[in-house]
Amino acid sequence: MLPLIAYWSGLGRAWRRKRMLALYWFFHTLCAAAAALPLMAVAVPQLGRSRLGDELMRQFDLAWLAEIASAAGAAAPAVVFAILAASAVLLLGAVFLAAGAVPLLAEEGALYSPETFWRGAGRNFWPFLRLALYSFIPYGAAFAIAGLLRRGAQALWGEGLAARPLVLADYARMALLIVLFGLISTAMDFAKVRLALSGSRQSLRACFASLRLVWRNPGVVFWLWACFAATGAALAWAYVELAVRLEGGGAALVVVLVLLQQAYVLARIVLRFAAWGAAAELDPILRPLPAPEPTPAPVPVHDYQI
Amino acid sequence: MRRWLIALSASLPLCAQLAPPVASYDIRASLDAQKHTITGEQTLTWVNDSPDTVPTLQFHLYMNAFRNSRSTFFRESGGQLRGDRAAEDGWGWIQVNSMKLEDGTDLTPRIRCISPDDGNPDDCTVIEVPLSEPVRPGAALRVSMRFTTQLPKVFARTGYRGDFHLAGQWFPKIGVWETKGFRYAEKSGWNCHQFHANSEFYSNYGDYRVELTVPSRFVVGATGELVKRTDDAQRGTSTYWFAQPSVTDFAWTAQPGFLRVERMFEARKQTTPEELASAARLHGISLEDARLSDVKMIALIQPEHAEQTERHFQALATALKYFGLWYGRYPYRTITVVDPPHGAGGAGGMEYPTFITAGTSYRLPRDVLTLELVTVHEFGHQFWMQLVASNEFEESWLDEGFNTYSTGKIVDKVYGGTSLPLTVFGSNLWSWLRLPKLTQASMDRAAHVGTPVRDPLATRAWEFYDSSSYSINSYSRTGVALRTLEALLGEDTMARVMRAYHQRWRFRHPHSRDFQQVVQEVSGRDLDWFFSQFVFGSRKLDYAVSEIRNRRLDTPVGVFEKGGGKQTVTAKEARRRDEEREKRGEKPQYESWVKVERLGDAIAPQEIEIRFRDGHIERRAWDGQGRWAKFTFTRAAEIESATIDPQRRYALDVNLANNSRKADYNTALSTQWSVRLLFWAQNTMLWLTALV
Repeated sequence: MLPLIAYWSGLGRAWRRKRMLALYWFFHTLCAAAAALPLMAVAVPQLGRSRLGDELMRQFDLAWLAEIASAAGAAAPAVVFAILAASAVLLLGAVFLAAGAVPLLAEEGALYSPETFWRGAGRNFWPFLRLALYSFIPYGAAFAIAGLLRRGAQALWGEGLAARPLVLADYARMALLIVLFGLISTAMDFAKVRLALSGSRQSLRACFASLRLVWRNPGVVFWLWACFAATGAALAWAYVELAVRLEGGGAALVVVLVLLQQAYVLARIVLRFAAWGAAAELDPILRPLPAPEPTPAPVPVHDYQI
Repeated sequence: MRRWLIALSASLPLCAQLAPPVASYDIRASLDAQKHTITGEQTLTWVNDSPDTVPTLQFHLYMNAFRNSRSTFFRESGGQLRGDRAAEDGWGWIQVNSMKLEDGTDLTPRIRCISPDDGNPDDCTVIEVPLSEPVRPGAALRVSMRFTTQLPKVFARTGYRGDFHLAGQWFPKIGVWETKGFRYAEKSGWNCHQFHANSEFYSNYGDYRVELTVPSRFVVGATGELVKRTDDAQRGTSTYWFAQPSVTDFAWTAQPGFLRVERMFEARKQTTPEELASAARLHGISLEDARLSDVKMIALIQPEHAEQTERHFQALATALKYFGLWYGRYPYRTITVVDPPHGAGGAGGMEYPTFITAGTSYRLPRDVLTLELVTVHEFGHQFWMQLVASNEFEESWLDEGFNTYSTGKIVDKVYGGTSLPLTVFGSNLWSWLRLPKLTQASMDRAAHVGTPVRDPLATRAWEFYDSSSYSINSYSRTGVALRTLEALLGEDTMARVMRAYHQRWRFRHPHSRDFQQVVQEVSGRDLDWFFSQFVFGSRKLDYAVSEIRNRRLDTPVGVFEKGGGKQTVTAKEARRRDEEREKRGEKPQYESWVKVERLGDAIAPQEIEIRFRDGHIERRAWDGQGRWAKFTFTRAAEIESATIDPQRRYALDVNLANNSRKADYNTALSTQWSVRLLFWAQNTMLWLTALV
């Protein structure tokens, strides 16, 4: 029940932050636009002039993609650099916005205002960024475990004439990797909440403490992650089913498609908020905050009077 | 051995003799499944069908390509081929233990390795044997040989893995004597190339009778028809007799685990009367000539692919039908398809006469047509390699490229394109995401466009710039070139060209100029410009519409001669006159022009289609010779767009997007795609947010 309670509570916390949701979506979209611009500059202009543009893009013609790659020619390194730069923009933007949103979702009574959002973003950005970089350690470990499993399967069945055991082992390895990624991702949510609530800047400690929390409560964390993963998958399914019906339509349908795309993005942001909110809900239950340092009793003011 | 051969010849109503036998083999071989060695003895009957007196013999010992890392094959390939890597502990070789003539002359001491292509002293994939008595024109020579072949671990189309064995290019095989003037021969001599990394094979037609002894637990498949099988319970071995006349090679496979399944291709059930009538009408032949024959299809399938057995048969039946209807009936009585096991992919996707290897994977999604593509393609080599036996060493485009073209037409027609494998837990996301199917035409063109044009199509296999250039030119670019030719000639004419070429050169050895000759004969057109640039040359084709301008022809301003005097028209006056004309309902005139450019070095006649805003369409022809050309129009409507090669005949053009231009920028399209890219970036960012 605990994961479900946290899940619903997370959704509730997200729902109560509608203004923050709008602000988050807006700046999220700005970052994405900054990242997408170089790609637009490469892919779109040539076809905007071509009579075949509609046809080539609708069919996602392989030959046309090859034409673009070929036409890029000497500019290819610049395009690769643009893609890398775009990825960096996306990563920094993601961390910055999360740094603003998490404190407001973690503290039930906190009042939202753009100022508090940006203040939180500024205060928590560096700890969150460090946390993002430290998170490569557990993700790397998950990859290493999966790699070892692959080697083991190869050693056991690699020389055989049947692919079946290797393929089944690959499914199992893939499933394990997905679950490990899910657990690590949830652990990083707990770490963010802890960093935001405690005002601590010790990202590495928060990272490992949260991984320890997951290690001690694997069932609760797994089911919490599973709830969000299932919701995300359902959203993706619904989006694809609707989007394919709108593809290739007239101007009105294109507008509807754009609205649908943004609704999908919004829904995913809500899920992200809900995941942070759920982590904030569970954190004190699974890992109570240490008792506050005893504060000295206030000294009567008149004792200082000369 | 001779006894059973005589009995066999008497009892067997084998296929009619289809080609005069030049190099026929009677082979007896046994497999040591533990050591993966084949011990064999063979009698070669070679007929000198040339007017020359032949003083030596040359043989291919292909398996020596895998003898060590100093062979020409290894030097060229670096031990890697088609994504496969040679095992460090899996060398292969062949040794000729003895060679004797029918009269008892021992030729063994005279055997020496030669390297006619690169002079590599460490390569022994070709041997030469001087004869005491030259072979006179028309005479037949019988040579008996004993040999031992060590199969390599599966690599480059042949070898073993576990108890799977694929024996291809496994016996000493005589080269092709080419008399002066035959194909490109400037003087008479042996055409017997070393085994190169980028190369396949070339040999004469002959009759093969092969006796294979293997452990009884093995299931065996081979070129030709199984005549009989005997079991030796004491030794635990079985002997299989196979026979096939009029083929160029013999390959076989053995593995205990094979599921052997047979189906009949029943020609009457597979083709409708309308299809036969249509083929007969198109090619001007009788219905009887158009009719196909029944063929026994044999599949040797891995047990874990059992559920894909019918897919193999369907693909084979599709190929038998269309290759038969288009080029002529398949003349043999069997076709065997082998499904290599996991880890033996290097033996997959290969063609031998009446025997092909395909390739699939465990739980291959239904909409991923790798299995169908490779099966249809390898079967296609029965037509472009086996029946029309061009020299694969020297002109790979004539077999691989022709087959890519034919395969693509069949797969696109019957299956409508394929999904790519984007599998997660065995389910293909490609279909779920409703991504469009990819046609062979599109995939071939993508490969052509994405690879620089560096070599002519007709290049000797080992003389291409690199292996990528070899494969793109031999396969995809040829496919694109033939599609271009089809568009230029028309589909029906091209169909007649291909059938005429196939029929004329069936059981013979044509070269590229022979194909050109057939094309010109059938189409009645001089296509030297096409062949010289795109087959024997390496020209890049790229035409573009580079500029569209529309200029309204307003009343001119300035000083004009009028009535012997000078008249000045001011801007104000001109505007007034224009406004008056508009009020009268006169449409303004526009001077418009289109500039087209030749960006590549290939020259091809072009058509340009110009569309005006009032719906009017103009067409102009351009010989395509100059670097650019300008077409000017004065009409009461502006140009809306211009397209060079509007019928898209030139699939060889490396940039289709620049073949047309609109006067106005397509804002809707760019907006739509900008929004889509933005959406993808938003989602990527959300994934990053979720992970870190």
